[in-house]
Amino acid sequence: MAEAKGLPADELRAISDRVLQFSEADHCRVRINSGWRGYTRVATNRITSAGGSDSTSVNITSIFGKRVASVDTNRLDDSDLLNAVRRSEQMARLVPENPEYLPELGPQRYQSNAAYYPETGELEPATRAEAAAIAIDRANTAGQIVSSYMDVRAGISSIGTSNSLFGSHSSTAVAYTLTSRSPDGLQSGWAGDEANNWNNIESQRIADDAVRKCRDWRKTPLDPGEYTVILEPTAMGMLMLRMMNSFNRRTADEGRSYFSNPNGGNRIGEQLFDERVSFWSDPAFVDSETAPFNSVGQPLSRQSWVENGRLVNLACSRFWAQRLGVEALPGPSNFIMQGGDNSLEEMIASTKKGVLLTRFWYIRGLNPRIISYTGLSRDGTFLIEDGKIARPVTNFRFNQSLVSMLENVEMVGPAVRVAASENSSVNTAIVVPPVKAIGFNLSSVSDAI
Amino acid sequence: MSKQQLPFPRNHLPFYHSNNSVLNAAPTTQSTSINRRNFMKLASITAAGPAIAARFPLHSPVAAQSLTSSERELLLLAIDAAKDAGAHYADARIIRSQFEAVSTREQTITQIQNTDSFGINLRALVGGSWGFAATQVLTRDSVAAMAREAVTVANANNAVAPAQTTLAPVDIFPDANWVTPHSVDPFLIAIEDKASLLLRINEEALRVNNVRYASSSILSVKEERMLATTEGSLINQTFLRINPAVNITAISNDGRDFQTRNAVIEPAGRGYEYVMGLELAGNAERWAEEAAMKLEAAPVEPGKWDLVLHPSNLWLTIHESIGHPTELDRALGFEANYAGTSFIHPPEDVIGKLKLGPEFMQFVGNRTEFGGCATTGWDDEGVPAESWPIIKDGIFVDYQTTRDQVGLISDYTGIERSHGCAYGQDWESMPFQRMPNVSMLPGEQGLSQEDVIASTDRGILIEGRGSYSIDQQRYNIQFGGQVFWEIRNGRKYQMLRDIAYVGRTPEFWNALDVIGGSSTYYLGASFGDAKGQPMQVNAVSHGCPISLFRNIDIINTA
Repeated sequence: MAEAKGLPADELRAISDRVLQFSEADHCRVRINSGWRGYTRVATNRITSAGGSDSTSVNITSIFGKRVASVDTNRLDDSDLLNAVRRSEQMARLVPENPEYLPELGPQRYQSNAAYYPETGELEPATRAEAAAIAIDRANTAGQIVSSYMDVRAGISSIGTSNSLFGSHSSTAVAYTLTSRSPDGLQSGWAGDEANNWNNIESQRIADDAVRKCRDWRKTPLDPGEYTVILEPTAMGMLMLRMMNSFNRRTADEGRSYFSNPNGGNRIGEQLFDERVSFWSDPAFVDSETAPFNSVGQPLSRQSWVENGRLVNLACSRFWAQRLGVEALPGPSNFIMQGGDNSLEEMIASTKKGVLLTRFWYIRGLNPRIISYTGLSRDGTFLIEDGKIARPVTNFRFNQSLVSMLENVEMVGPAVRVAASENSSVNTAIVVPPVKAIGFNLSSVSDAI
Repeated sequence: MSKQQLPFPRNHLPFYHSNNSVLNAAPTTQSTSINRRNFMKLASITAAGPAIAARFPLHSPVAAQSLTSSERELLLLAIDAAKDAGAHYADARIIRSQFEAVSTREQTITQIQNTDSFGINLRALVGGSWGFAATQVLTRDSVAAMAREAVTVANANNAVAPAQTTLAPVDIFPDANWVTPHSVDPFLIAIEDKASLLLRINEEALRVNNVRYASSSILSVKEERMLATTEGSLINQTFLRINPAVNITAISNDGRDFQTRNAVIEPAGRGYEYVMGLELAGNAERWAEEAAMKLEAAPVEPGKWDLVLHPSNLWLTIHESIGHPTELDRALGFEANYAGTSFIHPPEDVIGKLKLGPEFMQFVGNRTEFGGCATTGWDDEGVPAESWPIIKDGIFVDYQTTRDQVGLISDYTGIERSHGCAYGQDWESMPFQRMPNVSMLPGEQGLSQEDVIASTDRGILIEGRGSYSIDQQRYNIQFGGQVFWEIRNGRKYQMLRDIAYVGRTPEFWNALDVIGGSSTYYLGASFGDAKGQPMQVNAVSHGCPISLFRNIDIINTA
């Protein structure tokens, strides 16, 4: 087996210890990221760029009393590291106090997980080019024009503090997405996947799906309005990538969140969504593993946010927890929605009139009081009538509260990891089911293809 | 070339925000003919904040360039190694990027972070295919290996699907230097000075009733870039950019509503003298009052309204609906899997033919504008900075280009040379076509802001960028703002809230009816223009006058 990407764990530890030795501050925190990124990009049925690079960066936080400053450097010689330590100390001595600073954590117990998949770490240019060649071949055969992107990461991260904390974690991830278009520019289809394990990326199936969607989709008119929608997992995941950031206790307690209680405090314990809605995060979730620690070294473990529609927890920083006299609760590092028994076919068969959505684009916040977002459908939008896909239809803009969408869930399918980021780079792991929901606001037509 | 030059942006004048009279609607008396020399005089008056002026005399040459002769040798070594390995063209860059973030909320420092990232990359052309590699290990062996790897990747890509690539001609600059025009290097201003300014801003904002939260930050960027090409150019440049930001939240008495005022200040490709001219603490209370007023503002009645878009809002509309669709790589399909394609295509059918607005509407692409975030001396493939028309007399005439693209459309534009739009965000990133500053020229009638507002009986004035979203071909727009004023009978009447304007790009720009003169010209900017896979960010500015659009659809976003 080839060597794992990134510096070896003992070398990371040595750098971390050296920085802590150099430190003359009251406290010091060292975070290191070391790894490799490789990519291959296709456009107009040829590889337009491919490359890769190894990089290591060291983030040093120095603390005097409650004065805090950080320096990030990618120069690793002893003299460079010493310079960086001194620079952060100089800055920290001069800045005003941060009254919210809490002492560095001491040793912690981290649950280990096997997030480093060697198959992903060894995903060399030739293997990536094979996947590209399959996509180019499928597109050429179908008379289409393909663009694709494969993004691969493999490496290791660590955290250490002057209070004897040290932890490190290795991981890999790969995202593969593909857009196929007709030469006249009137048809477009998309498919894509993301995983920690390369073996779970089905590059042939992705090419077939995108080419089929492009073949089947050519827009026909449909009026905007409120529709029953079936969100394929990617479409649902792109919305839940936004939803995951709203579970914040301080923002709620401060009165600037949907989860704020108008009489003060928050809405933990209240039934807020349909009972089929459950959200949790779990750094050990297979093929979506994350580091079992966050940027200040707090341990992460399986954590529920919503259970059967009831809000059960909000993330709470160490400072806010101390002020409230409760336990701190680190935010989610991945986001998982409980799946259900309904297949996509059942959802379609049960729908008298509705719209099937493949993925979204340009999602932006509208109104945080109701967690509403706008965005546009893209690369596969279909009308469902009388339990069947009737025809491809135009793209739409949506203006939709995610709260009301989660109140109006009608069916839930099996949960899968999706490529939830709009730019198709490896992103926060999102695991979601396809969902059927009523009353989704497709507010205007988008002419884009 | 356009017959009219871009004027000096009004918001880059010291004291702009205190004269910005949105609340008191005082008539403008600002001279419309402020040139750069006058500006520097004004800048020195503002900068006469005694301590700073003493430490940093204006116009002093700043030792901005820390790249050494040994780094120059590494660059030439990389170029030679690529040639030896069989590249028929290569360019290499050593890039050092420094960021300094100072962030606060209320009376708390939330982040002091300095980032320093340094490395070298090389792009090689073999056959018609590009290969790219980069390393942060700056030894001779490592750099030579990196250069050979780029050639190997180019060979491999060319084997999968051979391509045709023609590089447009370029003049050679064997010993060129450029530094962002500035008088105060932000990295020489002490962090505690920045922190205390930010805490003062927050303190002033929090004086206002209902204003509970205020956060502010200053992000400073310095990029040192040395470029070498196999054709013989060697170009050494230092870029400074700065992004001051303020975000204020007001909460209603009953705890059921909250409103924010942010996006108050524009980022700029300038030094710290820009921040000193903004009078941030002196204006914080006014911005906070706007946040509190939004709680009481009247809900908008959806439907058709005339829109008066202040440049602090319009610049982003320009970025999204004119800037992006005139990127040639998008129009040709190279960005289909992420950023999308363009409604302005195919080139042969639209160049010199597509009418995008009224006859008085002029847009230029430029990498030359004072204060522009995309302003440069040369681009990432050694093309000198220039300014060129993109929309002339309302007609689309040209795209944004790089050396390997321009030949694809030169039959229709008659232009054989690149407009200099190549940029890679850091040492790890391959350069490709990125947006230059794309700016709209002001009107020749010289109308003031008040003249433009007076041109409608029933309209809405929108200030500041809000939520913004546009489709992947840049047709369907939905843009919000920060502060909304109903205009009745040509005057500001009352504050409105929860507004977004929607439309289809060609119809929207053809509804442009009245534009302000150079006294209203203002430069907006973003550090976050995203494109490419791997995604890279680009910093870019857009200048424009205040503008009136007729009968635009308004929705209520509450």
